[in-house]
Amino acid sequence: MKPARGITPWLFLAPGLVVFGFAVLLPMVLTIGYSFTDWNGFGAMTFVGLDNYARAASDAVFRGSFVHVVLYIAATLVLEVGVGLGLAGLVSMRPGRLWFRVAIFTPVMLPLVVVAVLWAFVYNPDFGLINGALAAVGLQGLQRIWLGDTATALLAVSFVSGWVFAGFYMMIFYAAFRQVPSEVVEAARLDGAGEWALFRRVKVPMIRGATGIAVLLCVTGGFQGFDLFFVLTNGGPYGATEIPTTLLVKTVFRNGEVGYGSAMAVVLTAVVVSLGLVYARLTAGGRSSAGRSR
Amino acid sequence: MSRLLVSVALGLLALVYFLPLIWMVLSSFKTNQAIFAAPFELPTSIDLSKWAEAWDVGNLGRYAINSTIVTSASVFLILVAGAAAAFAFSRYRFRGRSLALGLFALGLLLPLQSYFIAQSNLFTQLAITDTLMALIIPYTAMGLPLAVYLLKVYLDALPDELFEAARIDGAGDARVFRELALPLLRPGLATVAIFSALACWNEFLLALLYIQDDDLKTIPTGLLAFSSRYVTDYSLLFSALSIVTIPMIVIYVVFNRHIVEGITAGSVK
Repeated sequence: MKPARGITPWLFLAPGLVVFGFAVLLPMVLTIGYSFTDWNGFGAMTFVGLDNYARAASDAVFRGSFVHVVLYIAATLVLEVGVGLGLAGLVSMRPGRLWFRVAIFTPVMLPLVVVAVLWAFVYNPDFGLINGALAAVGLQGLQRIWLGDTATALLAVSFVSGWVFAGFYMMIFYAAFRQVPSEVVEAARLDGAGEWALFRRVKVPMIRGATGIAVLLCVTGGFQGFDLFFVLTNGGPYGATEIPTTLLVKTVFRNGEVGYGSAMAVVLTAVVVSLGLVYARLTAGGRSSAGRSR
Repeated sequence: MSRLLVSVALGLLALVYFLPLIWMVLSSFKTNQAIFAAPFELPTSIDLSKWAEAWDVGNLGRYAINSTIVTSASVFLILVAGAAAAFAFSRYRFRGRSLALGLFALGLLLPLQSYFIAQSNLFTQLAITDTLMALIIPYTAMGLPLAVYLLKVYLDALPDELFEAARIDGAGDARVFRELALPLLRPGLATVAIFSALACWNEFLLALLYIQDDDLKTIPTGLLAFSSRYVTDYSLLFSALSIVTIPMIVIYVVFNRHIVEGITAGSVK
């Protein structure tokens, strides 16, 4: 590394810093500023102190949106990370099986909006795949209006999320499993360990780092989920799938409550950033992480 | 025996996994009546007329062109600005270095929600909403932190002597960057390009907020507009979904190794 020589390093930094500062840092500071006002996007901007935060704390809809997103995250920890781990265990039992990994990873590639429009059909009560499959095996009694029923809507959205991202976590775990030294696996085999014991007692404990990253990505990504919810239910039915991101888009861009919506955004940001920092502190290996696209 | 069993199980699993996509394509060959009357029956023939109709009435070509412009411009800017910034961080010690690095590191954690409210207002004031710039600028900014971070890791791994030798040969800073660092960075740039391209191609929320003009919509928002215009023409909708999905699957199958590596590296590093 060379010591400073005038402005040379800053010339290299300038394009990136300018774009990043203009489109991310400046608006972030402004959003924090808005959150202390009652601004509606057009008229005068009056400073109201912490009023918006007090309102958020006592707003049942906002609090409910956090309950929903936490339930969604809990479901996706099983449906994305858990299933992904299981699939990775399955494919790492023997080498090869490239076709399988390619197949399961496919939905990760597709725009979530496209996935959501497709799954709205899969859940369609009249001709959808799910109700059709239930009828085909004689289980008409289990048919539901999956996305229109407050009891099933949140789980139905989580299931689509699982369908998309299980393949993503499978690839992360598959890569981690390949780092497990083969001598360790062979030694366990010689000791008479079956595939299940090998998976549970040897392989999974040895990839704790990857598991930590997967859980972090799933949790922080979950708080930022928007596309699937917006297209499939947009908060409905009766608010059963309202999450902070959909609620805050409605608050700001439909109701024009910029100040209040900004306070919601700051709360959400604080949650995501502190989770990231807690993880960084826990691992302290200097490993950083970014969200996956949601 | 157990080997065969695992293979059969995996095959079934993959089939179930693909069922929604297979059903989508098969339904696109059927009439609306057939979709309703017998959702599971195979189409009587491979009828592509609905595909042609979806392409004609749906503005899909326009959306694809817009997505291509936005994605390639953003990826190009991310690569150039990201590589230059990574070069500065990796090769120079200077006042303000850790602050600037810290800002990009913060960018790795920040959710879109932390800035998009004021960003939207800013773009409205500057009258750049309803132009493709309204997407290219934020997509570039959003892609930069991870690009800088990953490319810096690549550059840090290169031996110092390489750069010293170039300098002794009289190469200036700009030339060292262009003719030494950039070519050596090629694998890193490819990884960054893959996950940035995918993120730009699939981005939805900002595109929804900033673009109202149908002729400027990208594929995600365009497809959503399409689906609300033709709510009840299921056959047409399945055709549009197939048109959007199948090329991506083909590209993915051809380049699967690079794509999987790119996406997982982008998230885990």
